[in-house]
Amino acid sequence: MSGSCSFDGCTVDETGLCALSRDPSICGNRATDEAAGATSADAPAYEGVALQSGDSLGAPVLDQPVRASAFPSSRTLGLADLNAMMGARYVNVVGILGDPESGKTACLASLYLLVSHAMLAGWSFADSRSLAAFEEIARGARDWNDGKTPEQMTVHTELADDHGPGFLHLRLLRLSDGRRVDLALPDVPGEWTQALVNTARSDRLDFMKSAEAIWIVLDGRTLADIEKRQGLIARVGQLAGRLNTMLDGRAPRLMVVVTHRDLHILGDNVTSRLQTELVRRGAKAEIVGIAPFSDLPDNVPAGFGIAELIDLTVGKPAERPTFWPSTEPTAGDRAYLNYRGDR
Amino acid sequence: MSRSIILLGGPDSGKTNYIGRLWRALDGGTGALHAAEQPEDIKFVLEVTDHLFEGGFAPRSEHSDARRDFEVVVAATKDGPRSRVVVPDISGELWRNAVINSEIDPDWMNELRRADAALLFVRVDSDQDVRPLDWVTSRNMLERLGGDEDQGLPTQVMLCELIRFLEISLSGRDDGKIPRLSVVVTAWDRVDAGKFEQGPVVFLEREYPLVAGRLADLERLDVQVFGLSVVGGDLKHDPDYRLAFLDAGLDGQGWVAVRDGDGWRKDPDVTLPIAWAVGL
Repeated sequence: MSGSCSFDGCTVDETGLCALSRDPSICGNRATDEAAGATSADAPAYEGVALQSGDSLGAPVLDQPVRASAFPSSRTLGLADLNAMMGARYVNVVGILGDPESGKTACLASLYLLVSHAMLAGWSFADSRSLAAFEEIARGARDWNDGKTPEQMTVHTELADDHGPGFLHLRLLRLSDGRRVDLALPDVPGEWTQALVNTARSDRLDFMKSAEAIWIVLDGRTLADIEKRQGLIARVGQLAGRLNTMLDGRAPRLMVVVTHRDLHILGDNVTSRLQTELVRRGAKAEIVGIAPFSDLPDNVPAGFGIAELIDLTVGKPAERPTFWPSTEPTAGDRAYLNYRGDR
Repeated sequence: MSRSIILLGGPDSGKTNYIGRLWRALDGGTGALHAAEQPEDIKFVLEVTDHLFEGGFAPRSEHSDARRDFEVVVAATKDGPRSRVVVPDISGELWRNAVINSEIDPDWMNELRRADAALLFVRVDSDQDVRPLDWVTSRNMLERLGGDEDQGLPTQVMLCELIRFLEISLSGRDDGKIPRLSVVVTAWDRVDAGKFEQGPVVFLEREYPLVAGRLADLERLDVQVFGLSVVGGDLKHDPDYRLAFLDAGLDGQGWVAVRDGDGWRKDPDVTLPIAWAVGL
């Protein structure tokens, strides 16, 4: 017999299901005994409560939950959201790769801080569909769940407080020519990059195929460490090779982003070795030193180099040919006969 | 002819005081809009105007859960087309929670869907203003050093999210145009002459760059920015002004800063932000 039922072998308490296929809420065995059991067992502890509830017998046990209408959230975008957005306007997808702790998150946080203080040189904020996610990132509130690396991109139906990988959207206005640029910046764990380099696992990074630019984020402290930098450079070479395979040789613009520019300025020999390693894999990359945060704010302000990184990512404004070039007529020229002959 | 206009803004942004002042202006009938008939329920506006008459501001309506609507039929010209304007006064706390939880009471959601215009309030020098994170605080948070008290959601992020909510939920106007949003920068009498000349848009660009960028990028809302002074001066900290204000009475006090060519000018008609939003 279970605690709340008089029937021998009742399974409702353990499994929530009645072995006799009865509805537990109206089962005769159960209901009578529940009331009796409750008063006898709990009477001493809940005397006051029992007295009170006697008055409101028959009233609902629980308060009605408050209903609320939800707005679409502004957390990270999943692949489906991104697809929908890319269908509506041109979106620059940026692939961000880098080992754990290399500074990818700091990079995104610093970009957000620059934008929210209107300090991103040459650019100003226009819109973001994922402001809440940016806020979370800048507050360091987006730790992967209990340190467990997520296995795939955020699915839209997931619980709202689950910090899944996903895209951050940022629309920026370029002050020089008024062009609006939509950036989709992935926030993915560094373990995915490691898995790509170590075991060629690339399925989760499929979105990189539509990336316009790829940032490979390297920890500037490791590159400055004479013992550790060889290993890191070798890994970058392997990563470039993996990207070649994954993207079928159609590699987008590649940027090697070296963090901690405030403490370590990248030496020429390191730069050339990085370049050699990349060229060996048939890749070409710009190397950008950035300082998302700064220990020496007087020398290198926090956010150093990020505006340059964005400039490089978006690319230069395309030079348009003059639509209707004006030609000065020369006196005595036989313009009519030469019409279009000189073009 | 019934439409509702939503007033939004964070805590302490000046929504309630504006409703009080607006009622006097509508009742007086000197502005672009006037009340076509005396509304049935004016308890709420009378309470607010009482505070103003006494030379003070209405206390913050944060802790009043009860919904207080002000409903009035307005017209731009005598015997001209009328419009019923429902202006719900919602505590700023409710909007802040709506942004944090990204959900809102269904009643308010319906109210938003019924509205085709909104007024968004931002106050100059509010003590409720939350500045955006800076690098020092953010770094400490990222490294879990602690020591910094979490300020909560920055005001500009909250305003951007409110604008996003409006973009999603406001309905189109009867004439087929996109919904209108008046952005009202309150306590505009507190800025100096130089900043007044630059106007509230430049103020937003400097203080809330995300909001200014967002407003310039809106495709689904028609936006106009106003500066507003409900009583024309500082009743709290300027005893001389307060005395002069009490002496002269509420009517005729207060003004709206509107764009005038390249500059900005004071217009004594405080109904302008709502008159533009109603668009009669």
